[in-house]
Amino acid sequence: MTDILTLEGLTKDWFGVPAVSDLTLRVRQGACLGLIGQNGAGKSTLMNMIGGIVAPTAGRMLWRGQPYSPASAADAAAAGIAFIHQELNLFSNLSVAENLYIDGFPRRLGLIDWRRVHARTREILARLSLDVDPRLSVGNLSPGERQLVEIAKALHNEAQLLIFDEPTTSLTARETERLFDTIAALRAEGRTIVYISHILGDVRRLSDDIAVLRDGRLVDEGPVDAFPVTRMIRSMIGRDLGGLYPPRTAAPRPRPVLEVRGVTQPGVVEDVSLTLHEGEVLGLFGLMGSGRSELARILFGLDPHQGGQILLDGAPLPAGPRGRIRAGMAFVTENRRDEGLMMEASIADNLSLVSLREFGRRPVGLIDPQALSARTEAARTELAVKAGDIAVQPVKALSGGNQQKVVIGKWQMSAPRLFILDEPTRGVDVGAKYEIYALIDRLAAAGGAVLMISSELEELTGTADRILVMNRGEIVGGLDRAAFSDERILSMAFREDAA
Amino acid sequence: MTSLAERALDAAVRHATYLIFAAVLLWFGLQSPVFLMPESLANIVKQSSFIGIAAIGMTFVLLTGGIDLSVGSVMFLAALIAGMVMRALDLPVPAGMVVALLTGVVLGLINAFFIVVLRVIPFIVTLATLFLFRGFGIWLTSSTQFDFPPAMRAFGLSSILGVPLPIVVFAAFALMAHVVLAHTTFGRQVYAFGNDPEAARKSGVKIAWVQARVYVISSACAAVAGFVLIAQIGRLDAGFGEGREFDVIAAAVLGGASLMGGSGTALGAVMGATLIQTVKMGLVFTGVNLYLQPILQGAIIFLAVLADGLRNTRMRSRLRRTIRTVEPASGPAGRRI
Amino acid sequence: MIPAATAPPSASPPPFTPRRGLGARAGDLILSDYFVLYLSIAYVAALAPFLPTLTAPGNIVNVMSNMWPLLVVAIGQTFVLAIAGIDLSQGSVVALTSVVGAMLITTAADPAVLAKAPIWGLVLTEGGGPFAGLMGGVGLAVMAMLLVAALVGLLNGTTVAVLNMPPFMVTLVGLITISAFAIWLTQSENIARLPESFIKLGKGDIVSVHIGAKDSPQIPRREVYSFVTYAMVIAVGVAVAAHVLLNRTIFGRWVLAIGMNRRTAEISGVPVRRVIIAVYVISAMCAAVGAILYSARLEAGRPTLGGGTFLLDVIGAAVIGGTSLFGGKAKIIWTFFGVLFFVLLSNTLNLMNLSSFQVDMVKGAVILGAALLDVLRTRLMQERRR
Repeated sequence: MTDILTLEGLTKDWFGVPAVSDLTLRVRQGACLGLIGQNGAGKSTLMNMIGGIVAPTAGRMLWRGQPYSPASAADAAAAGIAFIHQELNLFSNLSVAENLYIDGFPRRLGLIDWRRVHARTREILARLSLDVDPRLSVGNLSPGERQLVEIAKALHNEAQLLIFDEPTTSLTARETERLFDTIAALRAEGRTIVYISHILGDVRRLSDDIAVLRDGRLVDEGPVDAFPVTRMIRSMIGRDLGGLYPPRTAAPRPRPVLEVRGVTQPGVVEDVSLTLHEGEVLGLFGLMGSGRSELARILFGLDPHQGGQILLDGAPLPAGPRGRIRAGMAFVTENRRDEGLMMEASIADNLSLVSLREFGRRPVGLIDPQALSARTEAARTELAVKAGDIAVQPVKALSGGNQQKVVIGKWQMSAPRLFILDEPTRGVDVGAKYEIYALIDRLAAAGGAVLMISSELEELTGTADRILVMNRGEIVGGLDRAAFSDERILSMAFREDAA
Repeated sequence: MTSLAERALDAAVRHATYLIFAAVLLWFGLQSPVFLMPESLANIVKQSSFIGIAAIGMTFVLLTGGIDLSVGSVMFLAALIAGMVMRALDLPVPAGMVVALLTGVVLGLINAFFIVVLRVIPFIVTLATLFLFRGFGIWLTSSTQFDFPPAMRAFGLSSILGVPLPIVVFAAFALMAHVVLAHTTFGRQVYAFGNDPEAARKSGVKIAWVQARVYVISSACAAVAGFVLIAQIGRLDAGFGEGREFDVIAAAVLGGASLMGGSGTALGAVMGATLIQTVKMGLVFTGVNLYLQPILQGAIIFLAVLADGLRNTRMRSRLRRTIRTVEPASGPAGRRI
Repeated sequence: MIPAATAPPSASPPPFTPRRGLGARAGDLILSDYFVLYLSIAYVAALAPFLPTLTAPGNIVNVMSNMWPLLVVAIGQTFVLAIAGIDLSQGSVVALTSVVGAMLITTAADPAVLAKAPIWGLVLTEGGGPFAGLMGGVGLAVMAMLLVAALVGLLNGTTVAVLNMPPFMVTLVGLITISAFAIWLTQSENIARLPESFIKLGKGDIVSVHIGAKDSPQIPRREVYSFVTYAMVIAVGVAVAAHVLLNRTIFGRWVLAIGMNRRTAEISGVPVRRVIIAVYVISAMCAAVGAILYSARLEAGRPTLGGGTFLLDVIGAAVIGGTSLFGGKAKIIWTFFGVLFFVLLSNTLNLMNLSSFQVDMVKGAVILGAALLDVLRTRLMQERRR
């Protein structure tokens, strides 16, 4: 088989720091290449070079044997390369057909030839077995359907290579299955796929070949048959799992902190009950769309629930996040950028936001600047945030790991009883991950309780005392640390309800 | 499944402006049946052409999530320059209208230059040009009233096939804008830009070009609007068009254009302008105190914006992801594992 | 340790460099809080040789008296801009509270002028308003003005915060209806004959200076320059209070946090709705204080006060100072200098005998210049963070 895309010695430096260095990789025509690597391994830089968003500093690319150096996203699309990102580039106020044709409609008498547009769109949608009217607004589609529209866009542009970048993060299990069927169908048409994901099982299932990136280099590659998950992880991390997680320094105590009894919200979660004890780290595992983040939002009072009870230290909680913060809850959301931080504000301002009330003097809430800066400085030292002057430097200038430390730190300053951490290591590099795990251990050791939500099973088995599994809005099972088994947890998470 | 009542509410929220319009017509019609006579209705459309034409242009800008505060000054300056050129070159009135249109295009290009090339936010740019354009115009007239040639009024009061000229121009602009927005690539790209400029760029839309054009269109429409109104009056004074930017924006928003971009139609702007004028005329017909009329107008605009907000909230809540299908109330819901 | 793919920010503060280039120093100047003040000083210094009247005591007094009311109103707007809102209704609140205050304290009303007004007979009679001649009547009227403004602000804020309507439209509707209401109240007539104790708030002086030789025991009135006026004390008092509120209190931090990122603020326990409502109340109450100063100076309640381009002056002054329309970036001191610059500009243009159109054009150019400067500042700031 010939190579459709060849990368030769591809390198990209950012101000002298290499993001991708001397990378040589072949993508076989008609095959599916699974590309894996930790965050910051250089995957996105690599994709941006292929997609014409950034230009390589050295090396070259060959597309179907010809030199290929795209100057823009449009160049890449014209060449026949399509990207299906986690964040879709669709216009929710336009119809499905319009989304396909937005860069140029066929015209008749100077106006858009709607009949042709709709007929052709219908044809493409039929190939993807997506049964929606081309005139329907994309805003009315489910996330899975939107993903298929994005693929339809690629087909409309006659893409030969489709690059999927974490395509399943916002899909339900069933939508994921449907996507995989579609990928199989695309391959049957002779198209080439590059599949990037953190869900290693998916990557193995779909790919013919696996390539592993680490620190901007290709560190391992080979056919999927010779690539068990253990080898994938070892290559990604560069060492064995053992040293990846700090040891737990304390054991859970019997006293319950959080008690959730039969919490139900129609369409979201059903009859969720759990107990979280003092000093305990409780892992909550589930696939995207299993309801884990939604449960976190309900517990924190951001979203409503109709049935059931939530108790903190035995007392019922007031409605809304403010009351729950005062009762001793903290919530690190999965969306650091939009919900966790004020990106433009200084580190100190971010750190102090939650606990500001403690520094106000009556009657007008005049802030005691000395006390405040002493506390924020102390928090920074404790968290080992690598930064300059925290009163000046904006958090936006920090690395992902340090940003996340600031988010955790701002909650820590209010000395909460319960931490809800939703994907606390998303977008955090390996080194900082270890520090965050150690921080989580310290929170628990100090007598707090931690509910840690993650889609990375390894990190839960590495840090939690107990893991509960969510599937379709329900808690479908739980395991104690002694009984942790990836296989059992995954089978619970993946189990499809007959419905 | 949604109940019938819910769907009815949905439809009501979606078409709130039409409902308000119908209610207004009905109310005033009941008060004074003369109000619903064809002549008075035609008069309403004629009177609304001024704000209406400008609101059509404003809709393009609002669709991209921008704003154009300079339209009131453009109305004034473009009409003035057209008049001066007409007088100097002894041009016929239709040629003067073309001059006004071209002046609008040039003024729009100035706005577009600062917004698209220098990347200053539209609010500030058009706030500044609001002052600049008017100041320039007053300098040209030395703060005195400008009288147009007599042919101007004759033109403004003429009619084509029995339809008054302002209505003809209004209809022509509405039709053109509708076709451009709904049936051309540029039009659809305006909507795409308003929804997500970054995604539009990635999809191969030339966003700078799209954004520049909407400001040119807005200014051009405002220029023609000013010219058409002046054609009915025959003279121009220094305060002409002052503060009209707010009327124009209100009309466009009333017609369903969102200040956040991405939604709105040309025909909606026509309706918004006509609705405002209907209320104005209705209040006159029913003899409501002159000073109280703006309060009622404000109330109607408020209702329309409120309806728009409700519409968006409902849309969003419908988009919220459901993890589980909500089963019918009978039987234990989805507990089979 | 594995090196991260992205460059970590340097842990140590930038090394001290004694000798810095001219470019860097120009950058410092542009990024300084006092930049607009320097600009104003430079502007005056550049024009003074050509405009001797500019620095004459009489003119300085004039500049200051123009500055105070605008400053108070612009401070209110600054709070609203800080939460990424906008308050177009301020001008109409100035008009309404001006009328409300005047109708309560006027000492005599002319039936030939005001008999048609709906307040005639109800509030207003030939003997004046209900508080006319009352002990503390002026104080009561001022309270009433602030109360009316607070109600308007409450309405604006609740609509924006609870119904989630766009502030631009909400306050635009406010502008239209409230100014119409004010005009209706008096049928567009002014209410004159305000008591001396009220007029003093706008015109009265605390410290006056006579410059020149004291030839006779009686100094002619026009040679006395009132440098410290009640208006100045009120405006500076409001400014200092606002500065403390925005920079030194929990409330101020909350305001900026909401402007920076409303979602984050909500999740971090900031009472977002309450703060938004409070901010619109502050904005309207500042407009009412502005109305006190304007009406006292005019010696009348005028329902068309705050019309025309007043609103654009207010927003323009705030933006020139450096406050961002996108929220989260606002300082009272910036607004102070912005207002100073704006007023100086109008003043000098007047002294040059320029007509209103030239004033308009220069104003427009200055707003545009300020916006370009902001673009430059942002870029400089980003470069410095590298």
